[in-house]
Amino acid sequence: MERDIELLLDNCINEMRNRKSVDESIAEHPQYAGQLQPLLRLVQKIETLPQPEPTPEAISGTLINLGHHIAQYSMTFEKPTAVVKMRKKSSVFNIIRRPKIAWAFNAAFLFLVVLFSAATISANSVPGDFLYPLKLATEKIKFMLTFNSEKKAELRLTFSDKRLQEMIAVFQQSGKLDTTLLKEMLDEAKLALEETKIPTDTASVFVTKLRHVNAYQKDVLEKIRPQVVSSNRKIVDEAINMCDSRSRWMRRMMNEENEISPDSSEPGSMDSPQRTPRSKQKSDRRQWGPECDWMR
Amino acid sequence: MNLKSGNKDLDDEELLQLLNRAKFNDSRALGKLCVHFYSKIYRFIYYRVNTVEDAEDLTSEVCLRVIKSIHEQKGSFYAWIFRIASNMITDHYRRRVVRSNVESVGESIEEMVDAGSKQSELIEQQNLRQALRRLTEEQQEVIVLKFIEGYDTDEIAHLVGKSTGAVRAIQFRALTALRNMSDMEKFIEKDRKI
Repeated sequence: MERDIELLLDNCINEMRNRKSVDESIAEHPQYAGQLQPLLRLVQKIETLPQPEPTPEAISGTLINLGHHIAQYSMTFEKPTAVVKMRKKSSVFNIIRRPKIAWAFNAAFLFLVVLFSAATISANSVPGDFLYPLKLATEKIKFMLTFNSEKKAELRLTFSDKRLQEMIAVFQQSGKLDTTLLKEMLDEAKLALEETKIPTDTASVFVTKLRHVNAYQKDVLEKIRPQVVSSNRKIVDEAINMCDSRSRWMRRMMNEENEISPDSSEPGSMDSPQRTPRSKQKSDRRQWGPECDWMR
Repeated sequence: MNLKSGNKDLDDEELLQLLNRAKFNDSRALGKLCVHFYSKIYRFIYYRVNTVEDAEDLTSEVCLRVIKSIHEQKGSFYAWIFRIASNMITDHYRRRVVRSNVESVGESIEEMVDAGSKQSELIEQQNLRQALRRLTEEQQEVIVLKFIEGYDTDEIAHLVGKSTGAVRAIQFRALTALRNMSDMEKFIEKDRKI
């Protein structure tokens, strides 16, 4: 009952807004006329109340206050920016939450995990293994992503050592000498020296390290030589000779460096008869050790 | 739903653009927004306080509050500003001693004479205005939004966060309360005789 009268009153008010009089509005509901009529007349009176408008002075005064506030707000309070940043962050998280993008992220993450695991496992692989190509690819990528020449030289030295380890592993498994690995071992060591810029302190340290590696490689080759089949023994001999000549070359170069270094800061030292020109050192370095026929 | 029946100069899209700019502390957008809703808020407050000065002060405070917290605004902008205005009115009555009705009658009549209205009408309007202020807060809110601001019932329901049925009930109770007030009864009787 009360609900009905509330609804009727509201409908009558709407009809009055559509230019119907009070009497016209209540004519359709004579049973409620007694209740509705005084209320609708009251509505008429309320609607005749003036629509107050603020004075222009009040508006401009408020705007001036706002101007001061906005100026202070911009200088001292960075909250809106922070909120915008937070919203931006949350919008990025919202993007990630979308099923397709979330699936792509998961797939990419899984792929990276599998790739990283395979690369780690492949570190101990030898030629003929399923993961050996991945090991070589990983080495190439690592080398391409290295831009420092000293680090590149270090990598070359590591690769040379790895080839030696692989060659030993293959030899122990099959009793055969893998000449390709032997060639790569010697090549990597040669390239390692070419990457270094001489003379610098770190380069001298590196050449010393290279000399030790070279000596170790020579020792290993000498140890496996008696077990190698006679057809390959000549190759091993040539490799041993190459390691030997490289070792001598490096020792000579280090001696020359030691002789040059103490005088290098003194005026007139350029005329020293003991000094080897740097350009000459570089050209020598490129030809360190004779190349063998089997390496070509 | 068009919630701006009282102000046609800004459509929904324009208002949204203004709001987005204002949230980035764009002073021009903030100023334009303030000018846009100032009159609405002023009318909403005017019939619920005693003096023009109070109405102007409170409207100014609402503007400041809106600007301070504009970056937190969500949902319907008009519902939000009317909620702020309503809270400000409540706070105003809590913190201030309400001036006597006699004083406010004098002031308001003077203001209305300035507007060029007839004396008898002015007295009726003043009685009505006083009666309005005796209603509960939610009744005042619904009556002002409906008959001063010109919103329809659905729009008011959206603005005050109540159902349409609840707004109809408040409207009915408010009008009944006004009619029952003795001075209003006299006012209506007098109107019938005329």
